[in-house]
Amino acid sequence: MALALCVCLPAATALAAPTAAAPPAVSTATATQAASIEAGFAPERLGAATTVSLGFQIAPGEAPSGLAAMQLAYPRDLGLATSGLGVAPCQPAALEDFGIHACPADSKMGSGTAEVEIPLGPSVVTESVALTLFAGASPDGYLHVLVYAVGARPVEAQVVLSGVLLPGRLSVTVPPIPSLPQAPDVILTRMRLTLGGRLTYYERVHGRSVAYHPPGVGLPDSCPRGGFPFAATFAFIDGSRALASTAVPCPRHH
Amino acid sequence: MHDVVSRWRFRVLSLFGCCLLLAAGANAASVLNVHDEGRLHYVHASGSVIVDEGSVSGSFPGSVRVRFLYDGEPQVSASFTITGHGGSISARGTGRLSSPTSATPSFRGHMTITGGTGRYAHIRGSGELSGVYNRRSYALAVQASGKLPY
Repeated sequence: MALALCVCLPAATALAAPTAAAPPAVSTATATQAASIEAGFAPERLGAATTVSLGFQIAPGEAPSGLAAMQLAYPRDLGLATSGLGVAPCQPAALEDFGIHACPADSKMGSGTAEVEIPLGPSVVTESVALTLFAGASPDGYLHVLVYAVGARPVEAQVVLSGVLLPGRLSVTVPPIPSLPQAPDVILTRMRLTLGGRLTYYERVHGRSVAYHPPGVGLPDSCPRGGFPFAATFAFIDGSRALASTAVPCPRHH
Repeated sequence: MHDVVSRWRFRVLSLFGCCLLLAAGANAASVLNVHDEGRLHYVHASGSVIVDEGSVSGSFPGSVRVRFLYDGEPQVSASFTITGHGGSISARGTGRLSSPTSATPSFRGHMTITGGTGRYAHIRGSGELSGVYNRRSYALAVQASGKLPY
């Protein structure tokens, strides 16, 4: 069985895997369903390009509801738009139909993992999902992002999520993710994305295709008191909401 | 970001000579048709701000330093100062970025002279600002033009 997930993420935001350089900051706020987010930079050097890791986790309540939308706020002066990541667009339809090979190498912006809960009869099964982040086409002048999610066991599925990167925030819409016939939809409970990392792009130089590595997201020269703030708002299908916030501590001077 | 920057080549075309032309005619009650350009190279980046420098070629040769802001909003902004023979001219401009996912999105907008020094201490005026932003190299290909009263 193949499921099509389409996640729209703005180009600037990616949920990233925790970095080895420093444990990500984590904070939790509670609504009907508790949620937490985490963020981290690697390397942690002001004024330098870095890889941004972002993630969230949702602890469903007694009557869990699927995630419908998410807004992630990040420091507006973070160099997401100027990162040079995603210098070619990937078409969502091609991504859904043919997978990641349908997207130009220059459209890849990052990768990550996710976990979903799949109701199977009386029990709930957790499935791990691999994520790949691409730049999407921009119909409105803003940077758009596509998240391609692939799960294999117990349910084989491919889903594309789409989002838009607005100044200081990433807005993502999560469509209903069907599971098995007559069964409730899949519930997304955890996501970790890395924006940047070891990516290889290509440019034409004197008629030849030359590989290069995009530098990543630029950190500002200065760090706000209390660190770089991140916050997220989660909206669920049943109308409930959850809030979470965190801050990435200011890098220590070297 | 210096280590990263060192790998990048920044070639920026900027058209700011219009401002200088404006200054040159500051004492005359007339209108100056301006169209000028220059080249800049990357100097520094701080988050969503990119700083480029270079030389201006065109109506008024000199050096220019540009602070370019792109934070994801389609409307980008730039402030710059041109230093030429006899003084400097500062301006600020905004433009809408199109095709932001491409490697070299273009922008077009408006610029306003914000001040000057030396011979251009009283310069005023405005015009059109357009160009191309190279997301790979941080290069800006910028043009400035307009009918500027002086």
